[in-house]
Amino acid sequence: MRLAPYIAYLKKSFLRKSAYRFDHLMSILSTCLRIFIFWEIYRTLYGTRQEVDGITMAMVTTNFILSMGLDVVFGMDDNFIPGKIHDGSIATELLRPMSIKGRMIAENMGSSVFKLIFHFIPALLIAQIMIGILPPASPMMFMCFLISALLGYGVMWSISFALQMLSFWVITTWSITTLKNVVINIFSGTMLPLWFMPEWMDRILRFLPFSSIYFTPVQIYLGQLSGAEILEKCCIQIIWILIIYCVGDILWKCGQRKLVVQGG
Amino acid sequence: MRSDTLNLTWIYTKKIMKAWFQYRSDALLRSVTVFLREATGIIVIYFTLLKFDSLNGWNMYEMFFLYSLLFLTYGIMIIFFTGLRDFGRTVRDGSFDRYILRPRGLLFQIIFANADWFAAVGHGGLGVVLFLISAQKVGIEWNVWYAVYYMFAIIGGVLIQGAIFLFLATLNIYLLETSSLKELFYFNMRKFAGYPVSLFQKPIQILMIYVVPFAFVNYFPSQYLLRKDDMQQYPEIFLYLTPVIGIGMYIAAYFFWRYSIRFYKSSGN
Amino acid sequence: MSLIEVSNISKSFKVNKRKSGVTGMLANLLVPKYEIRQAVKDISFSIEKGEMVGFIGPNGAGKSTTIKMLSGILYPDNGKICVGGKIPYKQRKEYVGNIGVVFGQKSQLQWDLPVIDSLELLKAIYRIPDEKYHKNLERFVEILDMGSFLHQPVRQLSLGQRMRADIVAALIHSPQIVFFDEPTIGVDVVGKETIRNFIRELNAEDEITMLFTTHDMQDIEKVCERLIVIDKGEKIYDGSLLGIREKYGTTRQLDVEFARMEQIAPIENVEIVELDALDGKKKRFVFENKKVAINDLMNYILQNYQVRDISISEPEIESIIRKIYNGEVVTV
Repeated sequence: MRLAPYIAYLKKSFLRKSAYRFDHLMSILSTCLRIFIFWEIYRTLYGTRQEVDGITMAMVTTNFILSMGLDVVFGMDDNFIPGKIHDGSIATELLRPMSIKGRMIAENMGSSVFKLIFHFIPALLIAQIMIGILPPASPMMFMCFLISALLGYGVMWSISFALQMLSFWVITTWSITTLKNVVINIFSGTMLPLWFMPEWMDRILRFLPFSSIYFTPVQIYLGQLSGAEILEKCCIQIIWILIIYCVGDILWKCGQRKLVVQGG
Repeated sequence: MRSDTLNLTWIYTKKIMKAWFQYRSDALLRSVTVFLREATGIIVIYFTLLKFDSLNGWNMYEMFFLYSLLFLTYGIMIIFFTGLRDFGRTVRDGSFDRYILRPRGLLFQIIFANADWFAAVGHGGLGVVLFLISAQKVGIEWNVWYAVYYMFAIIGGVLIQGAIFLFLATLNIYLLETSSLKELFYFNMRKFAGYPVSLFQKPIQILMIYVVPFAFVNYFPSQYLLRKDDMQQYPEIFLYLTPVIGIGMYIAAYFFWRYSIRFYKSSGN
Repeated sequence: MSLIEVSNISKSFKVNKRKSGVTGMLANLLVPKYEIRQAVKDISFSIEKGEMVGFIGPNGAGKSTTIKMLSGILYPDNGKICVGGKIPYKQRKEYVGNIGVVFGQKSQLQWDLPVIDSLELLKAIYRIPDEKYHKNLERFVEILDMGSFLHQPVRQLSLGQRMRADIVAALIHSPQIVFFDEPTIGVDVVGKETIRNFIRELNAEDEITMLFTTHDMQDIEKVCERLIVIDKGEKIYDGSLLGIREKYGTTRQLDVEFARMEQIAPIENVEIVELDALDGKKKRFVFENKKVAINDLMNYILQNYQVRDISISEPEIESIIRKIYNGEVVTV
């Protein structure tokens, strides 16, 4: 497989991201504001308490900063395939001598790298100055955090990929992707730290992929997990990537067949 | 409104409905989706208060009541102001050029050619549901005066948010891309307006009372009815200002629009 | 006073000058550079009622900007436009009821609805009386042969069908002045012919004044009597279609058929082209009529060689315009 064209797409989407300067500054501010507001809410909720269920305010803060930051980086273009199916360009795209899935990953990575450098890191610095974030539990844990975050990205990507495939059957996928975002917002820990979920909800979430996206990396960063637990959680992340990707791939194959039968 | 303007409004509405029902199941799904998307904040509050009982002295139902005003006003507003919310796109794809070429008021066309009745059902529906759940449980003795107050508060809240949309739409004439500005000053603020403004630090309070006055959309009107302790730090007059601020802001935004329109540069090819 | 009076209008835009590549992007993010692009420079012209004017020039010459100023979308920076006694960008509402605009690149029809729904909406917007609406509709539908797709959603139409529907949408309120911006773009040959016939008929019967931009030379030759050519924001020609040949068509070609194979010695300022037809016996001499006197050249050839046949030709208007587009013609 030749990588050059994919890298070209990665670069292109990186550059495209930089087109609107003012808009970009505003979105950094937006992220900071969001982190700040949730910090305020939890400060009020904690009041004079040192910790709730063994979770300190500093841990909550770190959870918000990291998961909201990663949420920015993990943003997917959910309209990549649906857009191409809608305007009919999918047929010509399939004839190109490169994998459209590969291109999709490349373009997503391009914009993610941009957002990592120019959005996540500035927002992190501002949050560090304004609020303060806990340092990683150890350099080793930090390395594990990076690996787990990358796996979290994989989970997020495969969810987006699988859902986009539904556009072969559904006219507008706006509703589906919006619902996806709703579920991820609530159950992945960006707005509601998963420590504070009621017992019954926790039991349900154990069988769903959402905590694998941000919460697992955050837990590793905070040093909440032992070596064995880290291995276990990362394996769960990988299993989720495989399961969701396979489902998406089956849909992709069926979709292509449908496209061929109908002639576009 | 002249009768033929009314007639045109009706025809616009009919065409919008007809276009929507080209994809019937999708239209329904969209309304449900909007409903659920907006319910995110409520669900988060629900889980949070399951754990923590109260937030700055507000219990779960009081929080729901606070939230309901936000959605009732947005639900009404979005019928009229979707076109302003999406004005950036209207400019970029050249539709605004077309509005200019038609012998009707520009704002009139922007508003009625884009009215989003389905999002309104989603938002308004959530507002009504929350209101019905909470209104009984927060200990308000409803009477005629309260009902009149509540109506004026809703009108004021609609105008405040409409003025913000109009102001942000006008900025599109100067800037090509304003969606993040809108995200920052409108949608982010609206998420926070779901919480009592008193719990935030001074800078944020100033922002929400004096700059993007969401506090007047739901916090102060709710306080008039609920009288929680945290009201003591604000002047009593704030309880009555919502309609005044709504009208004032809308007039100001309207003149800004009128002034700016001459600088419109068509987006070109 | 003419119907359309344009005097000394100018318009410039501020554009973000982007550099390419990753370093360029960084530079843009930190210190954006702007430059002022003068889209229209000091253009004046006037158009009489009932005239049909082709408005041409290469891409980015300022055609669309001028049309947008004429139709009231843009304010000119300088200068004045007066159409039928009204100033388009100041008296918008009174003005636009009397004009129609077709943007070939941007439909005004409702994408998800049948054509007829968009027309009904326009009826309400322009306050068209029932009788006039039905009369216009019937007439246009017949000439443009639209009966078959009037009730189909726009998204299902071919480009040619959509364009015809768009033209009707711009004319349904009987405007006195119509601006066409690329009305035949992407339309097939038959469709183009239908559209041109329709435009001609409307101009002849209803005395509608028309201004239109196009990239299709055939449109111009078949429809326009008068041409305005602009390039880099400036007007470089304004006159009859035939007059353009006098101004720019200064190239002549002399086709000579010799009695036998000839080797022609080079002649100053004349380009000699071999025409393959008769085994090198036929040659073409291309020259500028300002630099080479045709008499001298002919005499020289006749005196030195055995000639069987000789003919002179002028360039086609189409090729002149193409040269203007390509920037090969220098303004005198």
